[in-house]
Amino acid sequence: MGTILIVAELKDGSVREASYELAAFANKIGGDVKSLVIGSGVAGEAESFAKKGGGTVYVADDASLANYNVDGYSAAIRAAIDASGADTVLISNTPTGWDVAPRIAAALDAAFVSDVFNFEDGAYIRRVFNGKLDARVKVAGDKAVVTVQPGALPAFEGSTDGSTETLAVDTSGARAKFVETKVAEAKGVDLTKADVIISGGRGVGDPEKFTEVIQPLAEALGGAMGASRPVVDAGWLPHEYQVGSSGQVVTPKLYVACGISGAIQHLVGMKGSNFIIAINKDPDAPIFEVAQLGVVADLFEVVPALTAALAEAKG
Amino acid sequence: MKILVCMKQVPHQDARLDIDGDGTWIKEDGIKFEINSYDTFALEEALRIKDAGEAEVVVVSIGPDRVTQALRTALGMGADRAVHVNDDAVAGSDALAIAKLLAAVAKEESPDLVLMGLMSDDGNATAVAPMVAELMGIPSATGVMKAEAEGDGYRCERELEGGALEVVDLPTPCLIAVQSGLNQVRYASLKGIMAAKKKPIDTKGAGDLGLADQVGTAAAKAQIEKIYQPAKGEGAEIIEGSTDEVVSQLVGKIKELGLL
Ligand SMILES: Cc1cc2nc3c(=O)[nH]c(=O)nc-3n(C[C@H](O)[C@H](O)[C@H](O)COP(=O)(O)OP(=O)(O)OC[C@H]3O[C@@H](n4cnc5c(N)ncnc54)[C@H](O)[C@@H]3O)c2cc1C
Repeated sequence: MGTILIVAELKDGSVREASYELAAFANKIGGDVKSLVIGSGVAGEAESFAKKGGGTVYVADDASLANYNVDGYSAAIRAAIDASGADTVLISNTPTGWDVAPRIAAALDAAFVSDVFNFEDGAYIRRVFNGKLDARVKVAGDKAVVTVQPGALPAFEGSTDGSTETLAVDTSGARAKFVETKVAEAKGVDLTKADVIISGGRGVGDPEKFTEVIQPLAEALGGAMGASRPVVDAGWLPHEYQVGSSGQVVTPKLYVACGISGAIQHLVGMKGSNFIIAINKDPDAPIFEVAQLGVVADLFEVVPALTAALAEAKG
Repeated sequence: MKILVCMKQVPHQDARLDIDGDGTWIKEDGIKFEINSYDTFALEEALRIKDAGEAEVVVVSIGPDRVTQALRTALGMGADRAVHVNDDAVAGSDALAIAKLLAAVAKEESPDLVLMGLMSDDGNATAVAPMVAELMGIPSATGVMKAEAEGDGYRCERELEGGALEVVDLPTPCLIAVQSGLNQVRYASLKGIMAAKKKPIDTKGAGDLGLADQVGTAAAKAQIEKIYQPAKGEGAEIIEGSTDEVVSQLVGKIKELGLL
């Protein structure tokens, strides 16, 4: 059994839930678990993580690490790998994780497996083709860097008999410079308050169809329109309509997904809805896994007919 | 200034995904391919920098003969020349081997800026871009929604969760991996497509880049053992029938939810 290094991530001064999930994941893989906490003034959090899944926690505590910086974090992670002798490094697949983890793998000439959601019979399981297929990935060689999908496994809840160790990190070679964090702008459209959301995806095809097909259904139910990311990327609707990990997280009474495949980044934004109806012409679309009711059909037939029937039902 | 854009050709987003004979990838014959969506935004960003001043835009892609199509499209959109790493030995490579090939091409080109997409629509690995930067020894930023020349480098806005942004300065040479939606991607004009026919595509093999023993299935440190349809849970109750029947059941459900 080898040594697993968990790279914990702090958010607003506390270790994120996703880091406790890494602790659970490390136990699933099996091995000697050690961790790294990076930041400035983070000794307290490191102490507490050591007792709640982190094990031996290396603490890279430096003013230059107060904010995320790819070079500084990279130096800290590599120092912790050296200190721990880890052969497997676990990092959450967050904006920080996907920015730094591949650099570590390349620097170590190690195997890299990203966004995994499970470990089964010696292989990592991850989703490919935007959620449509799964892949079992085996690691060859003696070192691996693995990023783990947040929310995939329940967080570690037991206690561990850990302690902290100060890790000296030289961040003087950092080239990338953190400037500031800009918080998300207040939204003109607050989808989080809507009871009904009729969302359209790339399958809607063009912006006119949103006005002709999606909007009338939303109006018939007194609801709001929503969208998947490609719709916003293409400029069909403004960002405030976007549902998902980089948009809004919504929990309406009814969410209707029209022409949306159901990639994980969309699902995290709407799977908490009270009731989900999916309309998609692909019977294998992953959206049907989170929906309660599904219609495998052309949305351009079903949606206008539904709008008309609702008008009739209301009399 | 020189900009290198690394792009991947991937199965079209609406292509049928049938699993191949040995169960490790999809059947590629008979399906349509396209430039990875994230990479189209990277290419567009490069072309905008070119349009705004003096820049040479070089595109590089790794893959079999079909990749020529993607390179021709990029040249048609305005890239100046292309490098095609076309070598059967590369099949089955993992992300790290691909990054080594791209970094080797980049070392030959020595660009001021490398632009790539955050991830690919097929493998979804978000792996290659930071690896290329590490192997080149240059700084990088991923998930970039805005990049502007500033001082001796680029000021990048990285997308965080929920729409927050992290602003970071990178001195050049540097690598920027863009997030989808940072610009509106142009189409190749007819004139552009005609002009592209005369633009050079330089073809290389792994051996030319000194990497013959570091690519392919045998060298892969992360290997796909199997791909398969995700296990289906309980899933949705699927309503069958004519449009009228489907609609009447939907109306019934909406009433039951008290939303009518
Ligand atoms: C860091 C990061 C953050 C992201 N954040 C988000 C986010 O916040 N929100 C988000 O949505 N995505 C996000 N994404 C993108 C995500 O990975 C997917 O690419 C996206 O959700 C796909 O959108 P879609 O389902 O509309 O398109 P596709 O996946 O292309 O699906 C279109 C669907 O429409 C169906 N269809 C086509 N025509 C019809 C028709 N006539 N009738 C019925 N069905 C039809 C097809 O069968 C298909 O299932 C993010 C990605 C990354 C990497």
